[in-house]
Amino acid sequence: MTALLRMEARKLAQLTSVRGAALVLAGFPWLWGYAPGIFDVYGVAIVSGFQVPGLGLASAMEFLMPLIVAIVAAELVGVEVTHGTLPTVLLRPVTRSAWLAAKMTVVAVVPFAALGWFFAASLVAGAPYGFGAFVGGTGVGPGGLAGVGMLAPGAAWAELVGAYAWAAASLLPVALLAVLATVLTMNAASGALATLATLIVMDLLVILPGVEPYLLTRHLSAYVDPVAGPGWVAALIALYGAAFAAAAVLVFERKDF
Amino acid sequence: MDASPPPPQAPPAGGASAAPALAATDLVKRYGARTVVQGVSLAVAPGEVYALVGPNGAGKTTVIRLLSGLAFATSGTVTMLGTDPQREPGVRRRLGAVVEAPAAFYPWWTGRTNLRLHARLAGGVPAGRIDALLALVELEADADRRVATYSLGMRQRLGVAAALLAAPDVLILDEPASGMDPLSLHVVHRALRDAAAEGAAVVLSTHHLDEVARYGSRAGILEEGALIDEVDLVARRGRYRAVVGDADAAVAALAGVGLEAVRDARHDPRGEGVRWRVARPEGGDEAAVAARATAALVAAGCAVVEVREDVFDLRAYYRDRIHERRGVGVA
Repeated sequence: MTALLRMEARKLAQLTSVRGAALVLAGFPWLWGYAPGIFDVYGVAIVSGFQVPGLGLASAMEFLMPLIVAIVAAELVGVEVTHGTLPTVLLRPVTRSAWLAAKMTVVAVVPFAALGWFFAASLVAGAPYGFGAFVGGTGVGPGGLAGVGMLAPGAAWAELVGAYAWAAASLLPVALLAVLATVLTMNAASGALATLATLIVMDLLVILPGVEPYLLTRHLSAYVDPVAGPGWVAALIALYGAAFAAAAVLVFERKDF
Repeated sequence: MDASPPPPQAPPAGGASAAPALAATDLVKRYGARTVVQGVSLAVAPGEVYALVGPNGAGKTTVIRLLSGLAFATSGTVTMLGTDPQREPGVRRRLGAVVEAPAAFYPWWTGRTNLRLHARLAGGVPAGRIDALLALVELEADADRRVATYSLGMRQRLGVAAALLAAPDVLILDEPASGMDPLSLHVVHRALRDAAAEGAAVVLSTHHLDEVARYGSRAGILEEGALIDEVDLVARRGRYRAVVGDADAAVAALAGVGLEAVRDARHDPRGEGVRWRVARPEGGDEAAVAARATAALVAAGCAVVEVREDVFDLRAYYRDRIHERRGVGVA
């Protein structure tokens, strides 16, 4: 298993989507930290370096981050089909489930790695504003960007780290959904698009009040406000993740190559 | 490099009588209403080279994938070294396979790195094994180039090296030499022949009928998913024909030559002369036995006009069997 994990981790670094995502995520905070229209949209001027990661997270989690996670996860599986290497690996003495488990383990790291990189890039972009105490909010804590008064650096760090961790965790099922979709379609592009389509459909199902609390998309914003409580959201995320992973293994175990 | 085709090879050890290293029984594969493999059964013993031949779309690749465990049979069984490879994937430690044409590798890594990766997945290989295999497939000079820069033939050769990494007991290859230039072709067939000589059971699908006829043990002819014939290639090698003045005397001379390897001396039904077969001699030198048989004919006073090896034309045999199956008139 260690050999498989190392192999998959090395592959991840070679993916085009990973390199593209790294570039986009490195540039994105500069846009949101210094764009002239921020005040018009949010009604608040950025005064602290702590606000850039918060604002960036809020905007990226709406579409960009799920998209990136879905594409990278789908490509990590789909790259085997593209290069025809899947049968070659499966003919080695590894079980299909072990191989897919290694893929999913590495895929599970993707949201955390992507958001970690994004956080770091946002801090760099926010550095010119400084990281001292300021009047306002990080955008991911009480009062949003306007805040509720003076915010100390320690509190700001805690809000941001917590929010990024929550955001990464809530993207975990999205990554595993992308693996399932790619295993079903055996195509990276189709897998990523199917993942987005599923998320869009879930988003549209908010019109069903009985279903709405259980929708994954409902909780993608849990990083700022876990409406149903952190325990409930964590359980739902774990359930979705486990269901997608189990379904992917079941499909993969019986697939012809 | 020796660019000549591999010399006729003595039949490998093992043979059909040995316990099969790989066996398929009544394999059937259906996709919906379409049956692509119909009741294929075969058994390959250690040291044998079994060639699956057939037209494009005959089901060779599907059979290869069923044998290797990449696809699931609708019915029928596959046994690899006495176990079901689907239930006991650990048996694949003793399997080497290439089922993609061209062989598939991660293009961003070098040939050597790809082999190292395969070695790790195979559970490790002895030190020096990778270098030895790179030399065997004549890729030492290009081993540290990215696979993306390899030609088709180079990738195919790297595929054969990857398949041989763990010194497998079973080798399964789907058209391992497709699209190759004659030099690469030679390298690949030589590697497979040598692997069989070392005791591996080799199954390959191929369109290179002349090459496998020289060193293969048997050829299974597939048509529309069914195994319509199985040719014993060993029995069809080492046959000689001589045009002589007195066939009766020649037959008697060969019968009394005292060479155990000279068998089945009889009149040549195709002309005035005699034909005989050289069974696999110790040391494998068929040509020397044939030369001694010729000398015996001369010594017996037969007027020998010509002696030639009666090379089995698998290509013509295959064509006739396919035409016969399709109801096309045989030329």
